[in-house]
Amino acid sequence: MSDEPRDATATAAADADAEVSGGFADRWANFRDREISTVLLTVVGVAVFPFLFNNFLDGYTQLATLMLIYGIFAVGFDILLGYTGLLSFGHAVFFGGAAYAAGIFSASVSSSPLLVLLAGTAFAVLLAWIVGFLSLRRGGIYFAILTLTFGQMSFYLAASPLAFLTNGENGFTSVDIGSLLGVIDIHGGVPFPLSMLVDNMLYVFVAAMTVLSVAMANRILHSPYGTVFRAIRENERRAEFVGLDVWRYKLMAFIISAAFAGIAGSLFAIEGNYVPLESLYWTESGRIVIMTVLGGVGSLFGPLFGAGLYLYIENIVSGFPTLGPFWHLILGVVFVVAVVLFPDGIWGGIDYVRRMVVGGEDE
Amino acid sequence: MTLLADILTILLNGLQQGAIYVLLAVGLSIILGTLKFVNFAHGALYLVGAYLGLFITGQVPLNNGQLAEWGIQSYGIGLGFIAALVIVPIVVFIVGLLMERFVAQAFYERPDTDQILVTFGLAIIVQETLRALLGGSSQPFPQPSWASGPIALPVVGNFPRWRLGVIAITAVLVLGVYALVEYTDFGLIVQAGTLDGEMVRLLGIRLSRPYLVVFGIGAALAGVAGVVGGPLANVNPNIGTEQLVPAFLTVVIGGVGKIEGAVVAGLMLGTLQVLLIQTGYAAWSQVGIYALAALVLLVRPQGLLGSEVEVS
Repeated sequence: MSDEPRDATATAAADADAEVSGGFADRWANFRDREISTVLLTVVGVAVFPFLFNNFLDGYTQLATLMLIYGIFAVGFDILLGYTGLLSFGHAVFFGGAAYAAGIFSASVSSSPLLVLLAGTAFAVLLAWIVGFLSLRRGGIYFAILTLTFGQMSFYLAASPLAFLTNGENGFTSVDIGSLLGVIDIHGGVPFPLSMLVDNMLYVFVAAMTVLSVAMANRILHSPYGTVFRAIRENERRAEFVGLDVWRYKLMAFIISAAFAGIAGSLFAIEGNYVPLESLYWTESGRIVIMTVLGGVGSLFGPLFGAGLYLYIENIVSGFPTLGPFWHLILGVVFVVAVVLFPDGIWGGIDYVRRMVVGGEDE
Repeated sequence: MTLLADILTILLNGLQQGAIYVLLAVGLSIILGTLKFVNFAHGALYLVGAYLGLFITGQVPLNNGQLAEWGIQSYGIGLGFIAALVIVPIVVFIVGLLMERFVAQAFYERPDTDQILVTFGLAIIVQETLRALLGGSSQPFPQPSWASGPIALPVVGNFPRWRLGVIAITAVLVLGVYALVEYTDFGLIVQAGTLDGEMVRLLGIRLSRPYLVVFGIGAALAGVAGVVGGPLANVNPNIGTEQLVPAFLTVVIGGVGKIEGAVVAGLMLGTLQVLLIQTGYAAWSQVGIYALAALVLLVRPQGLLGSEVEVS
């Protein structure tokens, strides 16, 4: 990235404390702090990822797609946990709820992928408004337990009283996805120049949504809104004394993060053509907690890494003959070590090494 | 007459259903109320109790899991149920002491989200170790022979003997803990420490040891719950996490740190569940307890018997 041209707007866009002294670290910081470079990096990342993944890491495109879907989920979850400091143990309800909503919408209203995505996300947002309104009445453990309560309630609702809608324990199987904008077959292949990197259209669609989500998250976190989130995480009481309506901002953080979960859930239904009941169970909420914490809370790309790593271990490492049976156990141990010793996760570790090498400033 | 019998049967079944919630919740509640520590690994202690109980009571054949692959055909020492009821709490008590010293203590000063995360991770480790070693399949946990079969009760008629046993064991244990906390010097110190730890330390009383014991007692109760609850259903690695959520609900509905609250809330949840099942709304029985919990918390966020002071 060092050969990236450096122009005048770069300095203007950079943080006030990052003075341009010509050093590599400063130039890198300048580049990194611009919104367009975050988006570009993400585009390049998602474009070459399946190629590298399939050729060097034993992966396959379907898994790469799933990694991006969970990546979106984790990025949204991190807005809540990493930036606002709220630990929700019921986020599966927005992921699974959106997946069900998207699936049911596709079967009974319209099979257009974009409309399905919109329907699922809208459902997650509405649900989050209600659940957030009820769960945020008290902080700390009460928030974690109330979200857990609403999550479990939705699981048991979907399991039997609403089985006529959700198909109960068998999961929702009648997902029906049509072509994108009426012309592009979403489960088909891609045309030549692109096909050197990616082999199916679904990945391209999910990758586009990933870039969009990362850009949105980046924009939100660098806006005054994001600053308020961080202020609440650092010291809720102080934020309140400054005159901020903390409760309202927390609710917004909750809804925004549920919107990301909704996008991911809808894509999950589109990707698999199926919604399993387990997508609502609280262990699914636990999975997203592990992914986010492993990857690194409070960073933009950390959660994406965490999601990728988790799914890689779950799908590839679990097949290794010796380690296989213990994969979940190993993940648990790594998770605990991360919580105790590296609260900033893998991304924090990378950042630490980077600072050691190039001698950048502490953030 | 039959209506009365029906009501009594529902109440008794509700008591039994709620008894396990109460056993778990009392332990969870005293740890949360006294040490301000959120223990998501409480369900894992229940799981340990159930498997340890299985190990002590009988000889269980192993069909899958690593132990079976390594050529171990069965596990267990066949000492019987009473032995399990005595040994399990002692072992899990020690596990609790170790947990307090090596895990919880380092997290007292960290935010409760970190406490939840680390205990959640611990729960995964325990659960997955058991799954890897013993296999994921469900194993039956036989009822003790002296308490199997029905017993004829006045009005109610025939009632499973073991369910009465569950109620009785729970009642004895919970009363014991209540007496310990309410009527002994130890309980006095613990209660004072809950209200104002700094003041108690200034009086020259070291709180670290009582806190250690509180954690151990809480853990031991979860272990006993595993032994008592084991015979009511099959034992598999998921039962810990399955029990954790209702146990937490019981704590927050009753009010954090209140043993009476945990008892009332556990019985409420148990009775509601049984009521819904026996009146033909079985599909709603799980939804019902979560809805009730949500409702109570919306009206009284501090719990039914909880005080206004926020636990932070």
